[in-house]
Amino acid sequence: MEGMNILDQKFDVAIVGAGPAGLSAAYYLAKKGFKTAVLERGREVGSKSIYGGRIYAAPLKEIYPNFNSIPVHRWVKRERISIMPDYESMISIDYQGKEAISFTAYLTEVVKWMGIQAESAGATIITDVPVTNFYKENNKVSGVVSGEDVLRSDVVIDAEGVNRLVLEASGIVKPLKPELVALGVKEVLKGESKQIEDAFGLSQNEGLAWVFLGAATANTPGGAFLYTNRDSVSLGVVVLLDKAIANVKDHVSQLVESLRTAPALKNYLQNLRISEYSAHLIPEDVWSLRPERLVYDGLLITGDAAGLLLNAGYTYRGVDFAAYSGYLAGKAIEQAHAKGDYSAGSLSSYESMLEESIVIKELKRFRKVHEVMKNGLLFEKYPKIMSGVMKRMFENSDGPSKAWDAINESCKENQYSMLKLLIDGYRMVRSL
Amino acid sequence: MGLEIILLFKYVPNTTTVNVDPNTGTLIREGVPSVVNPHDLVAAEFALRLKEKYGGRIRAMIMAPPSATKGIEYLVGMGVDEGILLTDRAYGGADTLATSYVISQAIKKVVDHYDLIVAGQETLDSSTAHIGAQVSSWLGIPYVYYVTEAELQDGHMILTRQLETYVEKYRVKLPALISVLMHTLQPRDVTLKNKMKAVTQKPVKVYTNNELQLNTLCTGLKGSPTIVAKTEFIGKIPRKMQVIQGKTPEEMVSWLISKLKEEKVI
Ligand SMILES: Cc1cc2nc3c(=O)[nH]c(=O)nc-3n(C[C@H](O)[C@H](O)[C@H](O)COP(=O)(O)OP(=O)(O)OC[C@H]3O[C@@H](n4cnc5c(N)ncnc54)[C@H](O)[C@@H]3O)c2cc1C
Ligand SMILES: Cc1cc2nc3c(=O)[nH]c(=O)nc-3n(C[C@H](O)[C@H](O)[C@H](O)COP(=O)(O)OP(=O)(O)OC[C@H]3O[C@@H](n4cnc5c(N)ncnc54)[C@H](O)[C@@H]3O)c2cc1C
Repeated sequence: MEGMNILDQKFDVAIVGAGPAGLSAAYYLAKKGFKTAVLERGREVGSKSIYGGRIYAAPLKEIYPNFNSIPVHRWVKRERISIMPDYESMISIDYQGKEAISFTAYLTEVVKWMGIQAESAGATIITDVPVTNFYKENNKVSGVVSGEDVLRSDVVIDAEGVNRLVLEASGIVKPLKPELVALGVKEVLKGESKQIEDAFGLSQNEGLAWVFLGAATANTPGGAFLYTNRDSVSLGVVVLLDKAIANVKDHVSQLVESLRTAPALKNYLQNLRISEYSAHLIPEDVWSLRPERLVYDGLLITGDAAGLLLNAGYTYRGVDFAAYSGYLAGKAIEQAHAKGDYSAGSLSSYESMLEESIVIKELKRFRKVHEVMKNGLLFEKYPKIMSGVMKRMFENSDGPSKAWDAINESCKENQYSMLKLLIDGYRMVRSL
Repeated sequence: MGLEIILLFKYVPNTTTVNVDPNTGTLIREGVPSVVNPHDLVAAEFALRLKEKYGGRIRAMIMAPPSATKGIEYLVGMGVDEGILLTDRAYGGADTLATSYVISQAIKKVVDHYDLIVAGQETLDSSTAHIGAQVSSWLGIPYVYYVTEAELQDGHMILTRQLETYVEKYRVKLPALISVLMHTLQPRDVTLKNKMKAVTQKPVKVYTNNELQLNTLCTGLKGSPTIVAKTEFIGKIPRKMQVIQGKTPEEMVSWLISKLKEEKVI
């Protein structure tokens, strides 16, 4: 390429982005003896990592033999889903399990830990460097470009996250559209660990994952979350970007503010102070976001960049899925290397391993959730109907109403027919 | 031949509001990631432009714990050639006098030749602006601060110094020490090529007191006449946070005015 500055040093694998996907790939490949470079635009590994608050453990245990040293805050033993018709009241479902399969953690700490694993295995991590494009030789991706510098490698893993400017620059994907992504804003509220345990009724090391629907997102599609960390609470709101543009009058950060100051949450969040604020995009319509292929000649696409994130309505699985996809990309490279062939055909074992893995299986299982999520009624009408039902049942001074009457009356009040409600309910259950 | 430049820099907590432990009066550094002092990035940019114009070499020097190697890597990523790290337990707890002593003695002992020492105007975390002046005094070389431009002329350096309302020109003999006026230049970004060199080749020379053999009565806490006796807080004014009520701007304004009256502010 004209005016390009090709570095003497060449790597076996170059990875774009030091997030869960990129670092897990780097860890696996370095361990297998591949000369691996990870390029990260942030100041430090983990400095650009933002998420909600909980990570599912099983995939990480498979990737990392020393999983035990991962910086866990609390194991999630309690799940709560609340429907908020307004900021004063909520209807909640509580679940208390005996086995914890997910944990709360700071993503910055987890990603830093993954960086240490990758570096100890022999990977080279270069921070402060944004990749601007792929470098191609004979139409095969053969390295990465940053500004005027080119780093050559036999194969490249794209792990740049949802804001995939490199994939855009190379023409593999089109720029993001608002209807494909959601916007998440989050605050970390700090206190003492004892304080968190008392407020949420948790024992030591025990965590709560709490989801809110309804008023928490100004009744637009999306959800709000609360996770208990060791000595803090992560509180955030996620809204579908296009719906938020149309329906949310204030800045989205105002939604978190309103949730934090909601009377319904007052007793939980007393005396905690705001210590962090962050915002990030999340893949939402993951099937439309997915690039046509996840392998090209000399290139594999992983994690959020590949749309490999599960939004189950009540929980996100992005971190473990990203890490797992990076791990599988590493395996596919190992196999392709053995064949001495990094063409798309040879790398396609990545796609088939993904297809067989928990990642795609779970994504398929929850495929219809996005359709349900887009249904505005779920976030506007239903919370109102339900709250009407509850009010009639619990706040009726003449004594409680019968549940059936209460539903009937509440539907009438909200101008919605009970038949429609039943059909909606059926549809939803089928898709979930 | 070119200019042999020594760039002095400090690795500081990345925060504009330095938090001080109310009990001990020392800086709380825990959990705050460090960065190259932003004013020293301006000095680095200044030095890099001189090197581009006249050729030569830039070595970045710091007295600090080993974690400052990351700071050297950043500067090498910008285009600085090498780093020199002066580190020893005996250098810990230094005030500006003990810091400048170590820096100047190291320059005498391990730097065979230099033409120019470039420092930042001051640091973000203590901002005394002492180090440049003191190092030049120890070395007995000219010192010009608030420099915005430098040009070589017949083996001398013509320096422009910017003050509030006027500009001064100096003609100094080399070697000399300058400190660069903050915000004078926009520091360049790190490049892949240079950062790769920094990370894979680690062009950093480390000197402990084994090599430097300085009198430890003059270094670290022992060599520091300054004692930060007490740090007093400018008490925070307690604030009653309230969300402004009202649907229309008119309602909000009258709500605000009534509140201010209630508080006897107006
Ligand atoms: C508000 C919110 C809540 C979430 N909640 C959860 C949750 O509770 N649980 C869960 O499992 N997941 C959650 N997720 C999703 C999860 O954060 C992501 O799925 C996961 O981080 C994806 O990992 P990744 O490695 O693919 O991408 P990222 O984590 O985005 O990492 C990409 C990295 O690449 C770097 N990069 C990008 N472009 C370039 C470039 N051009 N050159 C160099 N470097 C580049 C970035 O700086 C970044 O470090 C949440 C996400 C958000 C936004
Ligand atoms: C709140 C507080 C107040 C303090 N007050 C005093 C005081 O009044 N008197 C005193 O003697 N000490 C004081 N100290 C100690 C002081 O921080 C250290 O001595 C420090 O190493 C040098 O001072 P500085 O950071 O102000 O640098 P400055 O003198 O402001 O730095 C000017 C330039 O010198 C160079 N430089 C600075 N430090 C280094 C280094 N370690 N290595 C290489 N180059 C460097 C950089 O180019 C920098 O831009 C104080 C510390 C704190 C936390």
